[in-house]
Amino acid sequence: MNIASARQAVSGASIRISRLEKRFGAVSAVDGVDIDIAAGEFIALLGPSGSGKTTILMSVAGFEFPTSGSIHVDSEDLTYVPSNKRNLGMVFQNYTLFPHMSILDNVAFPLKMRGLEKAERHARAEAALETVRLGGYGKRRPNELSGGQQQRVALARAIVYRPRVLLMDEPLSALDKNLREDMQLEIKRLHAELGITVIFVTHDQSEALTMADRIAVLKDGRIQQIGPARELYERPANLFTAGFIGEMNFVDVTVERATDAVAVRLPWGETWSLPASAVVEPVRAGESAVLAVRPERLQFGAGTAPVVKVTLSDIVYAGSALLLIGRLADGTEMRARIAGASDVGHLAPGDIASFSVPMEALLLYRGRD
Amino acid sequence: MKPVRSDFWHSDGHRLSGLSTLFLLAPFFAVIAFVFIYPIVQLLVISVTEPHPTLDNYARVVGNPVYARVLARTLWTATLVTALSVILGFPVAYYMSRARGAVAALVAVCVILPLWSSVLVRTAAWSILFQRNGLINSALMGLGLTSQPFKLLYTQSAVVIAMTHVLLPFMILPIYGALRSIPNDYTRAAAVLGATRWRTFIEVILPLSLPGVVSGSLLVFLTALGFFITPALLGSPQEMMVSTLVSQQIREVLDWPFAAALVGVLTLFVTLLAVIFSKTLRFDRLMGAAS
Amino acid sequence: MKPPADKGSLALGACVYAVLAFIIVPLVIVIPMSFGQNDYLAFPPSGFTLKWYAEYFDSRQWRAATWLSLQVAFLTAICASVIGTAATYAMVRGRSRLVTLFQVLLIGPIIVPHIAIAVGLYLFFQTIGLSGTIPGFVLAHTVLTLPFVVFTMAAALGKVDANLEAAAMSCGATRFAAFRYVTLPLILPSLASGALFAFIISFDEPVVSFFLSGVRQKTLPRRMFEDIEQNLTPIIPAIATLLIVLSIAILLGAHALRSRSKTP
Repeated sequence: MNIASARQAVSGASIRISRLEKRFGAVSAVDGVDIDIAAGEFIALLGPSGSGKTTILMSVAGFEFPTSGSIHVDSEDLTYVPSNKRNLGMVFQNYTLFPHMSILDNVAFPLKMRGLEKAERHARAEAALETVRLGGYGKRRPNELSGGQQQRVALARAIVYRPRVLLMDEPLSALDKNLREDMQLEIKRLHAELGITVIFVTHDQSEALTMADRIAVLKDGRIQQIGPARELYERPANLFTAGFIGEMNFVDVTVERATDAVAVRLPWGETWSLPASAVVEPVRAGESAVLAVRPERLQFGAGTAPVVKVTLSDIVYAGSALLLIGRLADGTEMRARIAGASDVGHLAPGDIASFSVPMEALLLYRGRD
Repeated sequence: MKPVRSDFWHSDGHRLSGLSTLFLLAPFFAVIAFVFIYPIVQLLVISVTEPHPTLDNYARVVGNPVYARVLARTLWTATLVTALSVILGFPVAYYMSRARGAVAALVAVCVILPLWSSVLVRTAAWSILFQRNGLINSALMGLGLTSQPFKLLYTQSAVVIAMTHVLLPFMILPIYGALRSIPNDYTRAAAVLGATRWRTFIEVILPLSLPGVVSGSLLVFLTALGFFITPALLGSPQEMMVSTLVSQQIREVLDWPFAAALVGVLTLFVTLLAVIFSKTLRFDRLMGAAS
Repeated sequence: MKPPADKGSLALGACVYAVLAFIIVPLVIVIPMSFGQNDYLAFPPSGFTLKWYAEYFDSRQWRAATWLSLQVAFLTAICASVIGTAATYAMVRGRSRLVTLFQVLLIGPIIVPHIAIAVGLYLFFQTIGLSGTIPGFVLAHTVLTLPFVVFTMAAALGKVDANLEAAAMSCGATRFAAFRYVTLPLILPSLASGALFAFIISFDEPVVSFFLSGVRQKTLPRRMFEDIEQNLTPIIPAIATLLIVLSIAILLGAHALRSRSKTP
């Protein structure tokens, strides 16, 4: 793609990853992944280490060639195109500013590679530095900047040639907490300003939830679920996602009835009839299943809804919230998160507390084999 | 092995007393003073005091065209060997820094084993290869490239080739050390920003590996200047180097003051270079990579 | 669509293996030559014989030279590792202002051409009667090998937490006992590999030996030098093969020692 058209391209490109597979010897790092990314979308790849999220990013960047499958950007097949011809922007975990070049030369580097005149590339590099609010830092060396500043420079370098796709490989993990939050906003702002398509790899779920339009949750090289934050949090598609995103209580149950309305027997013998909306994965009568509920959905005290009785072991006051930790009769751990101002003054470890469980908060999954 | 930190001489914890420090250091300083400093200083003194206090010996080294040519030949040979070592050594160091597993081990063995085998063995091998009926001439004639065997042994080319062979590991290892410390992500960053592999090499890899190249070049150049065994066995008596001239002056002509002046020129030049480049010379790093 | 063939890497690989062949072939070529039957060195060697090895082991002169070199190398390894370790320990744990001087003197024997050291020692040792003696060779080789021992030991001692010795001393150990029972066991593999390297450097050292050798006391490298210079008999490839095997053995030994040393 030439510079003129790259400059006019103010919106992002669409990306289609189909049946992507990458094997290292006998190990499958990525095992049949399909992702369709709309132009201008901000997508996060979230998963534990070894889940394949980085390998997917490496394949899109062109550092790894997949074993099979394809990668299209704006319907152009880039699967085996060398990375220097892909015209993508990328920000790495450890800044990767070239230590022997000034800040300005670092930002101007991609323009130099594209054959721009010195005056023009310096002007554009300076403008890119302004965008990340580092105007006037051009003469310094990378080691004279703080970690956060270095990452902003890396960001400027990745966008200076107006790529239509920005790849980010855990770009904030080397920064401390406050800086990280600043940078999250900075990246969101740039995304909105430039309309660029972003693929953002992270293992930090709160980062993924707050930043991305959609999140792809990965495990063992496969996509577990892909969707917007709210969907992922409120209706995780399987047990892995349910446990991986946020806090979740799990109770092993047995399915009593699976026709019209599903009913499950709880460890202490009670049987609950579940609304159809609770059934995430189809179950059959007689099978074991897992009932899941978020700690903040439990309500302190007995009410109209079904009730669980928990022997408390810890009561943790955390300002805005009060975390109650205890066990059910069969030993299953339960956590409840209620408003910090709640009056539970009489409760002490060892007491039995009752919580009512709103039916609409329950989720039912197939059992863990 | 990790490069030795430059501050390793200052570690924390309980310090030795001044007296025990001195006691432990005494043998080292005694041996160095007695077996290294004193003999060299004695030579330097002889070079300016015999036959009477004078700089005539040095004037002869530089002034006499025969000896000036020996100096020039020595400098030229060392330069040539250094240049050849960079050209041959850099690709190997680069390959070695990127290789993994069995390939990396194979390359490392090929580089390190010669370093720890005798210079005489390697020189002997070359003198066998360079014989009139040696492998190289047989191969050239077998390929029909020449009908007459070349005179290879006792030529300056033989000296240059064999010295490059002997000194190549001293070039490869420092460059390898410098290349190894360049994170892989720099290459990737350059590529994704649009640099071809060649541009990545020129703009990123080469500048960052330059300290290793300088260090290796100095090491090879300094060692080549005083190299004795290879020129003595493979070189021509008509084309002497400083070291072989020194040997001849001592063993055949018995002109000690002049030989001392030659040694003085060599030692002072080498020391001067080492002082100028003291920041770049990292012997600890070389030793770490070589074992 | 398939991944494109990587021509650049192939070309680089070809260059690299050509250079590696240049490095390794001259070393390897002497091995078959040592088994050739001809009385002169020709390639390819014809037949198979061990007579050159027999000749080497039967010759009193070669045996004497080898024995002298072995003695010198053994004593050098001991002297260099003791002196080098003591000095390194003092530098790492001591409070000396001599650090800069120490570092300068340390690289001296590497920087200054061996021909200069050799000529200087030749003159000096003749006046005090050390020329051509075992103590003379050992002293000279100790100077040449000290830097290598010190670099090895500095790396090893740098990895030993000084607080370990402090802990031992708080348990009642003297400074020496703390070194003997805590630090020394931790650095022992490095010490041994440093000594091995000192041994092989001394055993193979040609330049200083060349000048210090007398008419009767000749080291193995000096004798090899003469043989190569004068007639180059097939006994040289036989000795070269033995020396290569020795180098491999010492490198393997040092490698085994290093992989055993798990200094924290």
